[in-house]
Amino acid sequence: MGLGAMSLGLIDPGMARADGAMGGAGSPMVARAPHFGPRARRVVHFFLNGGPSHVDTFDPKPALARHAGKVLPAGNLRTERKTGTAFPSPFAFRPRGRSGLEISDAFGLTAAHADDIAVIRSMHAQVPNHEPSLMLMNCGDSVQVRPSFGAWTLYGLGSENANLPGFVALCPGGMPIKDAENWQSAFLPGIFQGTFVDPQHKEVARLIEHIRSPHATASVQRRQLDLLHELNAAHAAARGNDPRLEARIESFELAFRMQMEATDAFDISREPAHVRAAYGDTVHGRQTLIARRLLERGVRVVQLWHGAGQPWDHHDNIEGNLRKQAGEIDGPIAAFMSDLKQRGLFDDTLILWGGEFGRTPTVELGDSGKSKLGRDHNHYGFSVWLAGGGVRGGMAYGATDEFGFKAMERPTAVHDLHATMLHLLGLDHERLTFRHAGRDFRLTDVAGEVVREVLA
Amino acid sequence: MRWNPVMAFWLGLVLSVPASLRGAVTPPPDADRHWAFQPLSKAAPPSVGNTTWCRNEIDRFILARLESQGIRPPPPAEPRVLLRRMALDLVGVPPSFGEVERFAAEFEADPDVAAGAAADRLLADPRHGERWGRHWLDMARYSDTKGYVYAREESKFVQATAYRDWVVSAINRDMPYDRFVQLQIAADQLVPARSPDLAAMGFLTLGRRFLGVTHDIIDDRIDVVCRTTLGLTVACARCHDHKYDPVPTADYYSLYGVFAASEDKAVPLVDSDDAELARRRKAYADAHALRRSEAESRLARRVDEYLGAQLSLRDYPEEGFDQILTDGDLIPHSVRRWRDWLVRPGPVQERLFGPWRAVAALDMAEGEGFEKAARAAMASRPGHREVNPLVEEMLRGPLRGKADVALAYGKLFREVHGRRDDPSPSPAMAELVRFLRDPHGPARIPDGDLVSIEYFVPTPVTEELGKLQGDIDRRTVELGLATAVVATDRDGAPNPRVFRRGSPAQPGEEVPRRFLRVLAGEGRRPFENGSGRLELARAITDAGNALAARTLVNRVWQHHFGAGLVETPSDLGLRAGRPSHPELLDWLAARFLSDGRSLKALHRLIVGSATYRASSTAPHPSDTGLRALSAFPRQRLSFEVLRDSMLAASGELEGTIGGKPGPLLAATNRRRTLYAFVDRQFFPGVLRTFDVANPDLHVSVRHETTVPQQGLFFLNGPFAAGRARALAARTRGMAGPERVDALHRAVFQRRATDGETAAALRFIAASEASEPPPVAPWKPGPWMCGTGEVDSTNGLVRGFKPLPHYTGKSWQGDASWPGGETGWARLTAEGGHPGNTLAHAVVRRWIAPRDVRVTVEGVLRHEVAEGDGVRAWVLGPRGAVLASGVAHQSDVAMKAGPVELRAGESLDFAVDIRNGLNSDQFQWAPVLVAADGARWDAASDFGGPPGPDERLRPWEQYAHVLLLSNEMAFAD
Repeated sequence: MGLGAMSLGLIDPGMARADGAMGGAGSPMVARAPHFGPRARRVVHFFLNGGPSHVDTFDPKPALARHAGKVLPAGNLRTERKTGTAFPSPFAFRPRGRSGLEISDAFGLTAAHADDIAVIRSMHAQVPNHEPSLMLMNCGDSVQVRPSFGAWTLYGLGSENANLPGFVALCPGGMPIKDAENWQSAFLPGIFQGTFVDPQHKEVARLIEHIRSPHATASVQRRQLDLLHELNAAHAAARGNDPRLEARIESFELAFRMQMEATDAFDISREPAHVRAAYGDTVHGRQTLIARRLLERGVRVVQLWHGAGQPWDHHDNIEGNLRKQAGEIDGPIAAFMSDLKQRGLFDDTLILWGGEFGRTPTVELGDSGKSKLGRDHNHYGFSVWLAGGGVRGGMAYGATDEFGFKAMERPTAVHDLHATMLHLLGLDHERLTFRHAGRDFRLTDVAGEVVREVLA
Repeated sequence: MRWNPVMAFWLGLVLSVPASLRGAVTPPPDADRHWAFQPLSKAAPPSVGNTTWCRNEIDRFILARLESQGIRPPPPAEPRVLLRRMALDLVGVPPSFGEVERFAAEFEADPDVAAGAAADRLLADPRHGERWGRHWLDMARYSDTKGYVYAREESKFVQATAYRDWVVSAINRDMPYDRFVQLQIAADQLVPARSPDLAAMGFLTLGRRFLGVTHDIIDDRIDVVCRTTLGLTVACARCHDHKYDPVPTADYYSLYGVFAASEDKAVPLVDSDDAELARRRKAYADAHALRRSEAESRLARRVDEYLGAQLSLRDYPEEGFDQILTDGDLIPHSVRRWRDWLVRPGPVQERLFGPWRAVAALDMAEGEGFEKAARAAMASRPGHREVNPLVEEMLRGPLRGKADVALAYGKLFREVHGRRDDPSPSPAMAELVRFLRDPHGPARIPDGDLVSIEYFVPTPVTEELGKLQGDIDRRTVELGLATAVVATDRDGAPNPRVFRRGSPAQPGEEVPRRFLRVLAGEGRRPFENGSGRLELARAITDAGNALAARTLVNRVWQHHFGAGLVETPSDLGLRAGRPSHPELLDWLAARFLSDGRSLKALHRLIVGSATYRASSTAPHPSDTGLRALSAFPRQRLSFEVLRDSMLAASGELEGTIGGKPGPLLAATNRRRTLYAFVDRQFFPGVLRTFDVANPDLHVSVRHETTVPQQGLFFLNGPFAAGRARALAARTRGMAGPERVDALHRAVFQRRATDGETAAALRFIAASEASEPPPVAPWKPGPWMCGTGEVDSTNGLVRGFKPLPHYTGKSWQGDASWPGGETGWARLTAEGGHPGNTLAHAVVRRWIAPRDVRVTVEGVLRHEVAEGDGVRAWVLGPRGAVLASGVAHQSDVAMKAGPVELRAGESLDFAVDIRNGLNSDQFQWAPVLVAADGARWDAASDFGGPPGPDERLRPWEQYAHVLLLSNEMAFAD
């Protein structure tokens, strides 16, 4: 089905909230009905940029201990750098919850939610390099300029709150590798791209561009907007009330309201102390709490990046480095999941945890051939997990080989993951298309199969 | 309301896809008969009833449709509206009030003469090229940067400015369109070295670099060339035959071959006597020559390994799979070059590597019977008698497996390499040396710019050369040295092969380089010269290519009327709807060709029509989407035109044409938006918000969305407020009604109505009545913010200097941060950041206002993992270190005291960068509590002199509103 027919299905002015917080029916941000009944209404993506090791977190490989220091029987697959012998995980895995899903101590707090988590242990990407793999995970194509998952989702569903950006990418300290390409809208309208927010800033004026006026108080602005309305109304009346004129008039009123609503959404000081304490007064705690405030206000997609650059790129000293990075987000993720459950948001919020690829089960070698006690990039097999709206928890889907090098059982491509996530949002990935350059493009290109086994 | 096919989505309208095509997976059998592929029809302008309405032939086509639908033609627009429309359309800025007045008077006398003269004036205005150049740059995915690059590489394009300026100039000179296109595709073969026209090739070379993956770079070029000039989506045929248009995959790879046989080369367009640039160029050239010869020497000495690699090609993944390679590794690019060279027919392949090819094809790799099978295979080759004698000889030894054969080759070529400079080699030896030296052979690497060789060398060399090239590029950009990056032909490039399913790992049939069958016919000839790029350019611009002419005139129509006669200007193929006026499209295309392909003549014709001069006010209700043009389609100004118009209204627009780009959002940037620095990697969110063309992709129709972020930009951003201030300043001193009138004239090019004047004066009065009181002057308290070096041995701060700049939120070294000699040094109420070196620790100095005994409280916090954290001290009078600590992603209590101070003595609270400048932001706001209960809190006491009052005054507020209005943002 092409763009035209689908757009008819998606445009439903009846979806617009009556209180006027929505853009008009012609606005790209108006909430649109999905293709079928959704299990989730919003998405949060914990992006462990750099490539978190699966064999140290969610994919236990006891065989590595048995082969410690030995060459793998089948040899090593080619990755970006050279790797050596089997490198057992320094982290202990334990069965968690009633399901007994095995999770390592690196995510010991998050593990309390094991019964709600579906780990896909058989993910694979295309190449062992950050840049293309980030693009694949975010935009469904390693190299070409394509819209991100968040942009596609906004295109399909619109937003439930036109006073806030519909897709927010939070990343402390600057941008990840590949910058804003990670949340780009490509050929989709620019308003669908992610809005980047650096949660290291605490002043809302520095979080969202132009959200505060340095040159007019609210009352001056109100008086200005009233006059503007008067001028525009006279202008429109003489022109047969062109809807495009009306839309622009309305957009200034939305802008006025957005100033208040965005300020409120990002201000975590309005949270009770015990909630702030649960997330932790760290930059990751704060950004995770901001994410919850955004999601509950109707923001459709939030990405939580770990930090500028690629903090999860553990080429060396994985024991110390992974422990530290995991420690930074384990508590906030666990608190976030509990908080959502308490607020009744868990069942219709889709959570994705993962990076752009995993890491080798073999140890990375330095120039001299010496062990670096770390792991190289591994796109042949890695783990992500889903939780929340419509996800069957307490399970692992698919498997890597005995050592965790390569996806062997039910290999799952990134397109499959995307198809599954769109499905949970009520969107058929084959029908979510946009005509560009002569073709009807999809997030999943010509591939993608919904992983039914992880659906509740 | 104007119809915009992309907007159709929001409006819930259905694109007119012919029903026969829905769900189609192959072009229909009669796809060749699609209207766009036919010769131009020779239809004469139709006869119409109301001949007095018509101004030229265009109007007869338009009127014929209106009459057939029973719609009366629209009345003409008022002269004020018409001139504003023409100016915004043709030069992208509004006329002045005076120009409008004059035009109205002339129009009264003779509308045709007045409008014609105005069109001539506007078309002769150099700003015309800036306005229409932007339309072209949208399609050329123009960017000043390459997009994401590895750290070693400079991200700015050296050729972008010259290309942008060339486009503007070519349009201003009314360069014939065929020449305009040919130069952009093949200037290297049309003009002499150093010609400024070489800059035209930025059209090809300004695309993203796709991390160096050749296939994607070429795909981008095919897409941009074909959609821009042909209105055909050829790139759809990369993986399979085009699903809708008669473009088979073979045609895609014919064009692929044209671009694959070309390589990019930077050529300076002017001489430079800059010694630094010369030094950097030499450094690069020397390193390039050295590293290339080292790489080739390795290739010559490792023939055995490269042959062996042919037996396990799976271990050498295709481009895009990057490995860190040392000089001990085989280079995957060279492995593939060997692969491609070995399969090609040729006498050298036969005479030198015929035996290898025979052996490599054997099923068995080694073992019993191998030698017999190998010798049989070699002997049964058709060319086995023609083998080079030295090769023959080396194969005499025992051959236990393919590896032995490879090793024999390796040994032989190491010897050849060692004797490559022998003065009088045997003929057999000479032949082998020639092979090693053949620039097209696999033992060499290409001799081009860095982009041609970067993947043929080990990673450290790529990085070294990348940095040296970056040094050249940075200097070139810094000097503003006009430079072109041209495509040049690689000689002797082989014919392309079809990649099955688009995968280079699955090469299929070989195809000649040639033009598209649907346009050039079954009997088209292969291109004969070099890459065939010039032949391609000529085929595109051939007078017989009706599709190209239709595409161009449709685009021109689109920009005049807001939508093309065909609504998808870059896709006139089978999925495009029928043109709204098919005969007009063909008539315009024919007229364009017979007018010498002059764009200006075409503009003159269109803006001279009654259709263009029509009023926009009363579209006929039955005219959905204004496809019949029952009124002129009202247009929303693009971001560029709106911004430029605001600068023009405030009298601030700078007129300099061309040259280096500048930052769009800088307060001092008063140039046209065209000259804003376009960084496709860090494209300002505000531009995406305003639907400015995405510089990654060919854009033929911009999206048109209306979202609150656009309002916020003008409402709260400094740009519109700045223009409002300038407008108010320009009209200062005028009496109220006169001032209102002057503002309306400047912004709307018309007088204020009585009602508007009354409303304005009411607004001003209300604003003045609620003006806030002036801000109270600031009194410095006991705290000072400064920098200095901590001498912890002696317990004091050396060289304390107050930070000079206060932003309202922080004390820092300069207005911009980081800035000044102290760099990152900054103190805010809650914390701050130390300066760049240990000499610039940030210091809060508290000076006791009286004799007092205080205790110090507070927590130093450093949050992030990066870097090594910060050091902090509390230093008392007389060299006392009262507290110290180090925080790295941790909290440290900084408690001290009680301590006695006499009035005027001070406490210093200092923080430095510890061992290095990296992520040193901290929080620490000490609190002092006196024995008598008095408190001094660094956070709540924090302050500084009030900054310049940024609040808009009443008249500025009023001007601001005018700038935000719909009358400003739309053209009737």
